[in-house]
Amino acid sequence: MKTQFLIQTKNLTKQYGKIRCVNSIDLQVPQGSIYGFLGPNGAGKSTTLKMILGLAKPTAGSITLFGTPVNAQNRIRLLAETGSLIESPSYYGHLTGEENLHILQTLKGCPEKDIDQVLQIVRLDTARKKKVNHYSLGMKQRLGLASALLGFPRLLILDEPTNGLDPSGISEMRELICTLPSRYGITVVVSSHLLSEIDQMADHVGIIRKGALVFQDTLKSLHTHAKQQIALRTDRPQETLSLLHRGGLEAAPQEDGYVMLPVIEDDRIADLCRQICEQGIALYRIEKREKSLEDIFLSLTGKETSL
Amino acid sequence: MDYLLRTVKAEQLKLRKSPVWLAFLVLPVISAFFGTGNYLQNRQLLKSGWFSLWSQHSLFLCFIFMPALIGTFCSYLWRLEHLRNNWNSFLTCPVPLSCLYLGKLLQAVKVMVLGNIWIFFLYFLCGKLCALTDPFPAKTLEWFLCGLLGGSVICCVQLAVSMVIRSFAIPIGIGLVGGIGGLLAANKGLGLWYPYSLYSLGMRANNPQMEIDLKAFTVSCVLYLVLLSGLSIAALRRHEQ
Repeated sequence: MKTQFLIQTKNLTKQYGKIRCVNSIDLQVPQGSIYGFLGPNGAGKSTTLKMILGLAKPTAGSITLFGTPVNAQNRIRLLAETGSLIESPSYYGHLTGEENLHILQTLKGCPEKDIDQVLQIVRLDTARKKKVNHYSLGMKQRLGLASALLGFPRLLILDEPTNGLDPSGISEMRELICTLPSRYGITVVVSSHLLSEIDQMADHVGIIRKGALVFQDTLKSLHTHAKQQIALRTDRPQETLSLLHRGGLEAAPQEDGYVMLPVIEDDRIADLCRQICEQGIALYRIEKREKSLEDIFLSLTGKETSL
Repeated sequence: MDYLLRTVKAEQLKLRKSPVWLAFLVLPVISAFFGTGNYLQNRQLLKSGWFSLWSQHSLFLCFIFMPALIGTFCSYLWRLEHLRNNWNSFLTCPVPLSCLYLGKLLQAVKVMVLGNIWIFFLYFLCGKLCALTDPFPAKTLEWFLCGLLGGSVICCVQLAVSMVIRSFAIPIGIGLVGGIGGLLAANKGLGLWYPYSLYSLGMRANNPQMEIDLKAFTVSCVLYLVLLSGLSIAALRRHEQ
């Protein structure tokens, strides 16, 4: 069956003066997914999301939302099915959380009962009568999510929703986001510069570097990029290395005293251990190591960029 | 129409707990107070009763206070969006951009209309306190209606300025300078061509016996309203975050 993409961009490009912030991106966000849009700061994530929402005009390329091309004629219909939280949350600080939601509910034309529902979802129902200026950053961020959820759109675009939150706030926001596709059938696009965050939330990943999409697939597929190795630690690494080489294995020494070798069958490992012990070498550790997602991310985005 | 009602209601909700409208209450009182005082002090020279009182009430009010008041209110209306990241949610609302603009314009016009009702009430009250025995001039209805038309033009100008300029104070300054410029333009007979003069011209500020070409006045106001609104909506369309 052909995958249905809720967002599809083709050669999406944005240029400010001579600087190309987004370079021919072909984004494909499958329906019902949590799509993690990952990239270092300044890679072009926000610009891409803004173009999808019509907040920035693409220099070139096209955008399709729900199978419909994004243009001035379709703008209202497409926005009605989309919720968003771009950069930091939008709010009117002199009003209460409930009043803020009432404004958006009026503009979106959705039922008033949605206000109660979204306040419950983001766990702000007890603070609904409090002025937003008196909210903590985490509460403002949750109010932003509540605003985006009003009308229960088919698509939710969240740009760095955990920015500035403390660890418990991050975990709470993450939990909230993770439940959205299963509970409400909402497809979520969430951007972040933190790999660990995307790893814990998303099922699909797009990695952007210097305006170009360098990886796009399922998170599972990203994990398969992880290279597995076996690490041995003995009291005599050089002798261990020679022994492995004699056995025809491509082993390599490490600075920390470990000897690395490719993944081999369990029987062969057992045989190897026996041989090492027979040589009178003390075998301290055998570990299975995986090239971390962080390593993969860095290799895709370049080591010079921050995580 | 549904979209327009939504934006008008939303703008109304945004203005809750905002004391900005208080200026419309206070400044006309100050103007009426000084205008009436001036009238009472110069009663020997000002012999046209209600008309003379109006000339004293309207001078500062129409050329200085009202443009500044409208400027303040329009600055506030856009400040709500300029602050934080509110432009993002404002522009991603599923309503036509023209309705988003008109929602703000109608709020500005509404407050200006209420301000004008207050101004004429104060005028009436001060006239009674000054023991003016002539009947209240029927012409005031025409001044009032023309004032609303001319005031709407200032609302349009100030909304456009405040939309583009993120500062709160600069557009108010522009309103003040524009209002004073309106006095100069009106004195040179260019009132119909200058948007800030249209309000004072309509209100017959400082010269209640002045006759204006109502047709030309209306055409000028409507043209400015259409042109400025069109430009503002176009600017909104090109607005990038």
